[in-house]
Amino acid sequence: MSYFDLWFAFLFVPVVVLIFLLVPKKAKPYILLFASYAIFFMVSNFLIIFLLLSTISIFLAGKKFKKLDGEKAKELEKEDIDKKLIKEKYKKKKKHILVLVILFNISFLFVFKYLKFFTINLNAILKVFKLEELSIISLIAPLGISYYTLKAISYVVDTYNGKIEADDNFVRLALYVSFFPQIMEGPISTYSETAEQIYNASKVTYHNFCYGYQRILFGFFKKLIIVDRLNILVKQVFNNYMSFNGLSILIGIISYTMLLYMEFSGTMDVVLGIGDIFDIKIPENFRQPFFSKNITDFWSRWHISLGHFLKDYVFYPVSLSKPLKKLSVSLRKKLSAHYSSLIAGGIALFCVWFLNGLWHGAGWPFLFFGMYHFVLILMGNIFEPLIIKICAKLKINRESKKYYGFQIVKTSLLVFIGEMFFRADTVRDGLRMLKIMFTKMFVLSKNEFYYFGLDMFDVALIFIGLIVVLVISILKENNVNVRDEVEKKHIIVRWAIYYLLILSIIVLGAYGPTYAPVDPIYADF
Amino acid sequence: MDKLIEILEELQPDVDYNTCEDLVDGRHLDSLTILSLISEIENEFDVEVPTVEIIPANFNSAKSIYALIEKLKEE
Repeated sequence: MSYFDLWFAFLFVPVVVLIFLLVPKKAKPYILLFASYAIFFMVSNFLIIFLLLSTISIFLAGKKFKKLDGEKAKELEKEDIDKKLIKEKYKKKKKHILVLVILFNISFLFVFKYLKFFTINLNAILKVFKLEELSIISLIAPLGISYYTLKAISYVVDTYNGKIEADDNFVRLALYVSFFPQIMEGPISTYSETAEQIYNASKVTYHNFCYGYQRILFGFFKKLIIVDRLNILVKQVFNNYMSFNGLSILIGIISYTMLLYMEFSGTMDVVLGIGDIFDIKIPENFRQPFFSKNITDFWSRWHISLGHFLKDYVFYPVSLSKPLKKLSVSLRKKLSAHYSSLIAGGIALFCVWFLNGLWHGAGWPFLFFGMYHFVLILMGNIFEPLIIKICAKLKINRESKKYYGFQIVKTSLLVFIGEMFFRADTVRDGLRMLKIMFTKMFVLSKNEFYYFGLDMFDVALIFIGLIVVLVISILKENNVNVRDEVEKKHIIVRWAIYYLLILSIIVLGAYGPTYAPVDPIYADF
Repeated sequence: MDKLIEILEELQPDVDYNTCEDLVDGRHLDSLTILSLISEIENEFDVEVPTVEIIPANFNSAKSIYALIEKLKEE
């Protein structure tokens, strides 16, 4: 299933909206929960039991934390007691529960996503020692397990830290974990960002309905005009890269990055559009990533919710853990604040990027992808003071538009290479493609005379589609919200734009046997 | 407060800390800079910054960082 299935966006969503409007306010959250579980059940059948187990586990953990906090407060009221000791005692109790619940949730993720990869690699080691190999088990994972597990962990950690109060309402928590627009591909919102909003959603106005569908249609535009066409080119290049020159491979990897961006951000347009219909503000997952100054900036604009999760629940807890703090303090005597923090931060960054790679998939290319970004970010931070000095000496204005342009091109090229490894079948294939780009950039072969399996019409439509998205992105980067601007226009102009969008999707969309629609890429992670 | 601004200017000189109110939301301070900042604060003001306090609201301006330090001192 995909959010781009016509039945989902234009039948399922309107039916849910209709029922939602007809039932009394009290029943509305139940309708949304039923719709969410129905989608889950449709795709994953009885694997829904794992979604329920995750939800129940964090619900009970939250309740237990609340109970322990109450007991602690009572004990602390007593006189002649060692308050520190009591605090420690309860902290320990809560920590045990936290670890247990996190392990419980991660164990499902491990079994469904990583067991095969783990067994294959373990067998490789067993083979070296001539030991009996284990049988490989392939399992189909429950829908969106990588997304809802992270949401579950964020809830349980936030309740443990006292950042949010544990929820006494199971329906609200279950809805937060499984909300149907978010279940397949995120965004991985925190409990405080969406739980209340979803539970309290009470109306669908005509304005919200149009405003939401406007964005949903834009997502379809990206998918049907651009993604399904680019897919042909990308497949040609990646499947037969040995028969292309460096320039064609460069075009292939740029196209793949565009495909990935259009597919994922287009899906987010559908997701956030559905949120808009119900007046639920689901957090944005993208912010014009190709206007980034450096890789750190890129990752604050691309898959934002995953970056936030890893920052809040991995980076800071690891870098501020007792052993790393001790290390920082001892290093401070020898190094400057920048470098002493960089070492502790570097270790935490390694964990973040190792997990980022692993989260994307159980395979060496994904781990390589993670490590590639770790090295780039670390290098960027190590050399930053040096670059500032060099720019000052050469009198380069780091605030100038020219310098920003240079930064954008540099960052984009690094991103394209990263995504090349991400898409390549093996790390070796990626390295070979890189080699061709460096050694045979302009060597012509007969393959270069084809349009990578596309005709001129397809190429023209891809360009037009990309230009439309680029113009909207430039406006957004300059704080102009195109959707709000369209809203302000006269009804005739407004509807002319809507019809143009609908017609372009119907007439110019990539339909038919020539095009193989791209499966939802991020739903597999 | 002066000491805090001195620390901030040393870590990231391109910002006016007396007026800026979106240090995190405006992406003037990235995670590694915040980490250096926490290390400096803990060293200078003899407090411990728990991870739960690392939220944009606490780090968006020099004023809010100072308020956090004051709060942690009291604890």
